[in-house]
Amino acid sequence: MGEIVIGIISGIISGTGMGGGTILIFLLTFLFKVDQHVAQAANLIFFIPTSLIAIIVNIKNKNINLKLGTLISIYGILGAIIGANISINTDVIALRRYFGIFLIIISIHEIYSIIKQYKKGKIDKNKDNI
Amino acid sequence: MMKDLVKTIVIGFCAGVICGFFSTGGGLILVPAFMYSLKEESKRARGTAIFCILPMVVTSSFFYYKGNYIDWKIAILCAIGGTIGGYIGARLLKKLPEMFLRIAFTVFLLYVAYNMIFV
Repeated sequence: MGEIVIGIISGIISGTGMGGGTILIFLLTFLFKVDQHVAQAANLIFFIPTSLIAIIVNIKNKNINLKLGTLISIYGILGAIIGANISINTDVIALRRYFGIFLIIISIHEIYSIIKQYKKGKIDKNKDNI
Repeated sequence: MMKDLVKTIVIGFCAGVICGFFSTGGGLILVPAFMYSLKEESKRARGTAIFCILPMVVTSSFFYYKGNYIDWKIAILCAIGGTIGGYIGARLLKKLPEMFLRIAFTVFLLYVAYNMIFV
């Protein structure tokens, strides 16, 4: 039952475009003491139904560049084969540490884009004043 | 033209490796890459990113499955919750203050990162 709640929280955050998967993996490992690999695998399955719905909606609204998307997907699949194989052969504790480092990189990117957005908001306000 | 092809290959490949290794984060690479490097607008960048990540996720799932890492009970319960949450999120999105959410999310991420690296 708790897993459904974690899924709902992560699903809501996914909708905002801010990495719901990250939250899902953390909550599973932190609250349920699930191993990093198992949590990551759960995140993969978690992603499939939600993204299918999103893709259908996006195709209808013409929000997908199909040519670019297909090309990226081909190279992405190659990358995923390599990434997934490295991951399943990586020690649990090491994988957890790498994941932590990855999160710091995401945070730095977020801080950077928050500042950028804040500045942009300021400029827009100034424009209104003029 | 050639330069764009190289960009596409590098972006796609990197997103794939990250997606396979961490099972998340493909979008964090693809969305900005589409916007800044391949000049797509934000909405289409997000839409195209999800479209690209699904095949990467399905590919990764196969290897996690082979490695015996899929706990179907946890995975399916999370997926059910995720579908409900995704629906709520899509409705709620317009009403929430985005700036506040992003700052809260970032603080939370740093806390999680600390836990994962040092605890």
